[in-house]
Amino acid sequence: MENRLMVQDGHLLAVFNSAHRIMKAESILKGRGLPILLIPAPRALSTDCGLALRFTDEEFDSIMEILTQENVLPAYVNRRINFEKYELIWNGENSIPLLHS
Amino acid sequence: MDTIDCRNMPCPAPVISVKKALEHSGEIRVLLDDGAPHENVTRFARNRGFTLQEEQSDNGWAVTITSGTPDNPTLPASPSGKPVFLVSSDRLGDGPEELGRLLMKNFIHTLLEAGDLPARMLFLNSGVRLTTEGSDVLEALDKLAGMGVEILSCGLCLDFFGIKDKLRAGSTTNMLAIVETILATDRIVRL
Repeated sequence: MENRLMVQDGHLLAVFNSAHRIMKAESILKGRGLPILLIPAPRALSTDCGLALRFTDEEFDSIMEILTQENVLPAYVNRRINFEKYELIWNGENSIPLLHS
Repeated sequence: MDTIDCRNMPCPAPVISVKKALEHSGEIRVLLDDGAPHENVTRFARNRGFTLQEEQSDNGWAVTITSGTPDNPTLPASPSGKPVFLVSSDRLGDGPEELGRLLMKNFIHTLLEAGDLPARMLFLNSGVRLTTEGSDVLEALDKLAGMGVEILSCGLCLDFFGIKDKLRAGSTTNMLAIVETILATDRIVRL
């Protein structure tokens, strides 16, 4: 039942504050060949547009670097700990990625 | 026993010829090209309870089809009473193409969280873009297939787009099977 979902433990989810921004981010990252997937955001995350970009820790640095260059940073990035539980690892107000702190 | 040569016939002609021949005879031998024609005809015959004997050769297949249970020749399209989804586009709704593609992707991903799943999802026209290489929903379709949803793509459509060898989810089907599914199902949902 549980593994049927698109988000599994350890996945990172970047949430943006608009549908246009997340679609732009998706198209830029895909253009650079990064393995990201635009999916409906889980109910546990609050989003304006109901969408999230899914990726893994390995791609975090390259993704954030590209999104910074292109000026389409997300509102925040969460990591799934377990079902319905997420930890905040990066947010817009904190420009130092929390992943490495 | 009659032999019918269905080699070089475009889809769905082989299935239709076999269906017609079986209406008049309890046993036929069919010559078929490898790939979709062979898959479609053998699936059609098996689904109808016929017994098959297959021989592969350099120029395709020779399949002997013998009647099994003539009293019950039609497979119920959706025996579970579950709906069948007809996905006739890679976009959901009218409007900007980009938004339509996003909505379709979102729909299929969200389906995974629904309690009731369709029995079958039939992909046709640009809908076959969703079941082929480069689609963003292959992971979700794999999961759906794992939960018992039958994923079928129109072979003619795959051929039209030149992506017959790029199918990455489910198997191919033909218009006869699609028509029969629609006629035999109470709940068709067109996306």
